[in-house]
Amino acid sequence: MDAAVEPIDAAPEGTAALELRGVVKSWGDQHVLREVDLALDPSTVVAIAGRNGAGKTTLLRVASGLILPERGAVRLDGLDPERDRTEFQSRLGYLSAGNSGLYARLKAEHHLELATKLALMPRRERRPAIERALQAFELEQLCGRRVDRLSMGQRQRLRLALSFVHQPSVVLLDEPSTSLDQDGRALVQQALNDLKARGGCAIVCVPTGGEPLPVVDRVLELSEGRLL
Amino acid sequence: MRHAAAAGAIFKRDLLLFASYRARLFTTFFTMAVSLTLFYYVSRLVTSKQVGSPDEYYAFVVVGLIIFGVLTSTLSTPVATLRAELQAGTFERMVLSPFGPVRAIASLLLFPLALALVVGVASLLYAAIVFGLDLRWETVPLAVPAAALGALAFAPFGLVMTALVVLFKQTNAGATLVITGVTLLAGVYFPVALLPDWIEWASQVQPFTPAVDLLRNLLVGTDLPDPAWVALLKLFGFTALMLPVSLACLRAAVARSRRQGTIIES
Repeated sequence: MDAAVEPIDAAPEGTAALELRGVVKSWGDQHVLREVDLALDPSTVVAIAGRNGAGKTTLLRVASGLILPERGAVRLDGLDPERDRTEFQSRLGYLSAGNSGLYARLKAEHHLELATKLALMPRRERRPAIERALQAFELEQLCGRRVDRLSMGQRQRLRLALSFVHQPSVVLLDEPSTSLDQDGRALVQQALNDLKARGGCAIVCVPTGGEPLPVVDRVLELSEGRLL
Repeated sequence: MRHAAAAGAIFKRDLLLFASYRARLFTTFFTMAVSLTLFYYVSRLVTSKQVGSPDEYYAFVVVGLIIFGVLTSTLSTPVATLRAELQAGTFERMVLSPFGPVRAIASLLLFPLALALVVGVASLLYAAIVFGLDLRWETVPLAVPAAALGALAFAPFGLVMTALVVLFKQTNAGATLVITGVTLLAGVYFPVALLPDWIEWASQVQPFTPAVDLLRNLLVGTDLPDPAWVALLKLFGFTALMLPVSLACLRAAVARSRRQGTIIES
């Protein structure tokens, strides 16, 4: 199980689904990521634990291409987040921490419709993808409801559905269990199992002391800007 | 086709959000009606060599108000929407989508422009029905492509404003400054010929003056200061020159914000 996550130099060229190589990122004089190396093989789920402010969110933001590192490289199936932006993003699913990123006055189904179109999915694939995501996160009964009438846990399930709706091959989840009850956590577990079954991989950030989902293959600790 | 669907989805989202506040539609049209009514009575006081009779001034100012509405929607609304997106964390999904942040931001202009055009048509109808505005019906259909060209020529200003939002997060002052400047220099409320010579050149180096001149001619028959092709050439030229420049500015702003890590606020 441990062999799924290797130091990047040990991974044979081109086999890792997601690679971070010598990634450095600072906020002013605060060095958040110091030469971070990580290589995720297909069908692998890695949890990254760390104290508040350890840099987990920054690591996921860099891995997703949302922000760019000062030094180092990120590759998803060999794709560069700047040069191959469209293809890179079409293979990536991302869930930010917290409960943001939803339009309070839009219905859940409108969010999913928008997400499939922004993902540039072919027309014939959009509706089945939306239905799959609604089913995966048990949102069928809620899809016609506006976000401001959903509970926090239901909103989190919608946010998760948005991260998975376009069938990404790599998923980055920042504290996905926030606001979720046991059933909700089971849905995340199932979605990650399905992802692994189709050869995808994921990074899941959890706070130190938080219980990682059973689907996780290995837990890495982010401390002082380095993965241990 | 998929890119058009994505842009259309952003348009639909903005329409749904607009429609979710029921009072907004009413206030939009109510404000328009009050403004047209106010200027009708002001126009009764106006008679001069430059603007002609009160009715001629009213026709002049109605078209100016419509163009001003388009300008405000191009400059202010996308800026406000983008600010709200940054604060709500929804912009993150645009950045991380294959459609991408630059196209997504450019698509923010679509709904405000469409709304401004609808309000423009309603304004003409209101002014014609209630105050007897004399429309030049034979050329009114030509105003549609002319307005579309004008909107395209205004778009670079909106794109630059959104680029500034991406970089500095706050640009309300900038948008207000441009709108105020244009109001003064583009002949929205009075003919630019009334401006002092030393500043009149400024009315010729932006797309608003030829757009209002052209639309006034097509909608209410106001004489053009130059042949129509001159106004068209200015609008085409400005669009061809400034649209790529403004898109490059937006691309650069997004790239810089990603490098700095300030592309999102939440």
